[in-house]
Amino acid sequence: MPALASGAPKPGRLGAPWQAVILLGPALLAYGVFAVLPFLDVIRLSVMRWDGLSPHAAFIGLANFRFIFTEDAVFWTAFGNSVIWTLLSVAIPPAIGFALALGLNQKLRGRNALRAMFYLPVIIAPIAVATMWRWMYDPFFGIVNSLLTDAGLQRLIQDWLGDRRVALYAVFVAYVWQTAGFAMVLFLAGLSNVSPTLLEAARLDGANRAQCFRHVTLPALGSTITVVIVLSLINSFRTFDIVYGMTHGGPAQSTQLLAFWAYTQSMQLHDFGHGSAIAVVLLAVTALVVIPYLRWTQRREDAA
Amino acid sequence: MVGRRILFAALLLGAQVVAGTSGTASAETTLKVWTISWDDVAMSGFKQMIADYEATHPGIHVEEESRGTDEHKAAMRVAINSSAGPDIYYMWGGLGLGGEFANAGASAPLDAAYAQYKWDDRFLPSALGDSRRYKAPQRHGVPFLVHGEGLYYNKALFKRAGITAPPTTYAELTADADKLKAAGIAPIVFGGSVNWHLMRLMDELLETECGAAKHDALTSMQANWATEPCATASFTQMKHWADDYTLKPFMGLADDQAQGLFYAGRAAMILEGDWFVHMIQAHTDISNFGLFLFPTGTGRLYFFSEYFYVSARSQNKAAATAFLDFITSPAEQQKHLGQFGSTSVDKGIDYNGRTQPLDMQWNRTLASTTGTFVNGDQAFPLDVTTEYWRIINAVAIDTMQPAAASAAMQSFIANRHH
Repeated sequence: MPALASGAPKPGRLGAPWQAVILLGPALLAYGVFAVLPFLDVIRLSVMRWDGLSPHAAFIGLANFRFIFTEDAVFWTAFGNSVIWTLLSVAIPPAIGFALALGLNQKLRGRNALRAMFYLPVIIAPIAVATMWRWMYDPFFGIVNSLLTDAGLQRLIQDWLGDRRVALYAVFVAYVWQTAGFAMVLFLAGLSNVSPTLLEAARLDGANRAQCFRHVTLPALGSTITVVIVLSLINSFRTFDIVYGMTHGGPAQSTQLLAFWAYTQSMQLHDFGHGSAIAVVLLAVTALVVIPYLRWTQRREDAA
Repeated sequence: MVGRRILFAALLLGAQVVAGTSGTASAETTLKVWTISWDDVAMSGFKQMIADYEATHPGIHVEEESRGTDEHKAAMRVAINSSAGPDIYYMWGGLGLGGEFANAGASAPLDAAYAQYKWDDRFLPSALGDSRRYKAPQRHGVPFLVHGEGLYYNKALFKRAGITAPPTTYAELTADADKLKAAGIAPIVFGGSVNWHLMRLMDELLETECGAAKHDALTSMQANWATEPCATASFTQMKHWADDYTLKPFMGLADDQAQGLFYAGRAAMILEGDWFVHMIQAHTDISNFGLFLFPTGTGRLYFFSEYFYVSARSQNKAAATAFLDFITSPAEQQKHLGQFGSTSVDKGIDYNGRTQPLDMQWNRTLASTTGTFVNGDQAFPLDVTTEYWRIINAVAIDTMQPAAASAAMQSFIANRHH
């Protein structure tokens, strides 16, 4: 017992630090090789000129950043679209997911089937979602315009993916369809942690449903909301495949997003310097938004 | 002691296996050939070509690897600086893709092989064009496929609009488009979401408005787009086609959706390549459709080619060129006619077994062509292609005026840092 009490390992057994190293080692190694090293390499490439063919990359300082900020005709469009996309992504899918979670947290017949149904789009490959929605948006044969016609709403018919004024939002609808279920699941998990005792106590104290929600449920969901918003932010910044599949950034790059533009520059145009510079900007923007938000929520939770 | 004997015997056996293996390796040359994944018919034809070659060339083993288009490009980028790459690789002709790799040193010059095998006598003049795009005396690549592009039309819709014969001049073409429009028929359809579909129209208009020499000067970025009036005139014409002649809406359509509309008779024309004959056949009665070349007035064919290149890093260059000589030989080309495209790259192929009039029309066209101009995405480097697409689309959706489009094109070219 004294040995255990002092934290010393039994003879022939590894101590806790070694156990931690053994358990974490493979994951840390994989993380280092597949996440940290590429991450550092992107920063290195952002100050290089490299076409992916030459054996050597040339150091050019900040020229790639100067190019994307001042000469790249698409960068600022992609930046603006990314801002719009992020604002919508943080607001709409979590709000829908929250509403679904609140509804499906009630004792309903078939609620498990409904939960599965709303979650199903999350597990479909984004490129498949993109293809499906592209056909739904077909201006001639697509179901969207057909339904509008059947409903007598011909004036609302659009070239959903071909009109630069609506294409980004049309793609976003598909994104919402796919991602709202993920927020729903996280909120359902959070709601399961709301203490029934506290809710009961609040009711006994005379609180109505809105007051119970405002003063008991919502505070208990604080950390879940933080997780959902941070994940929504990060996922929105790195959105790529659904745009790739639905519009390829068009028409005339009007639905281009930063992550896709970084990919296009690097992997399609083979300008790894420009692509990496855009990726670094994206990283900086993500960090500038996410880190202060996390610190703010941490302070709030500490204060509470 | 017994254990030592077993160990010794095992080592001896292992040594024999290694010796046997290395003995086999030294006797056999392995040629690695990287291609894109063609359709099943073409892949099986290519594998049969390899089997034919191996059967007649003992000691040569040909190892074929095929990948999706983007995966192939990516694999080639990795392979170019590696000894693990192929001996022979597939790539499009022209300076856009084939040229990028050749100019980066991935391809071995084949001047000696052209002389040795007399390839200049074997191939159609149109097929050879892309091998000559490099600084003399360097010839790169061996032609394997040629494709022409033109306007397919719906005969019934033309008749309904009162058009009795395909146009032979650009003025006649626009007059016919006006007749179709007046008859309530959309003259043409494009899939605007795939950038290269609408690009074909712009390529044809540049050839029409600028003529061959100026068009080549613009696509090789030697001429100034901003000051060359024909560049702006071409964008103006493209806007005219987008505004007045193209089935709308089209910017959200992909090429397959546009093709579906053409099969269904929703538009009278579509700008497609020789491969489209078989696509029409697969969807509808092909006798309802005709074909004519976009009347640019220069006599050149809108065209692109697909090549096999010998890798500069290959240790088996002689065997590689011998293999390419075999698969492009008239006998192999005749044997596999129609499996890769409508027309062989060789002269003197017998097309008499053909019955499809549109296929035969392509055979005659490609065989008689001497001058060609290539698709914009084959002519330009990749970054310029992307900007070319953006500008074309911007003109089509009215966010850029033709004069501004020419200026934007020149500005991008001038600011390139490569």
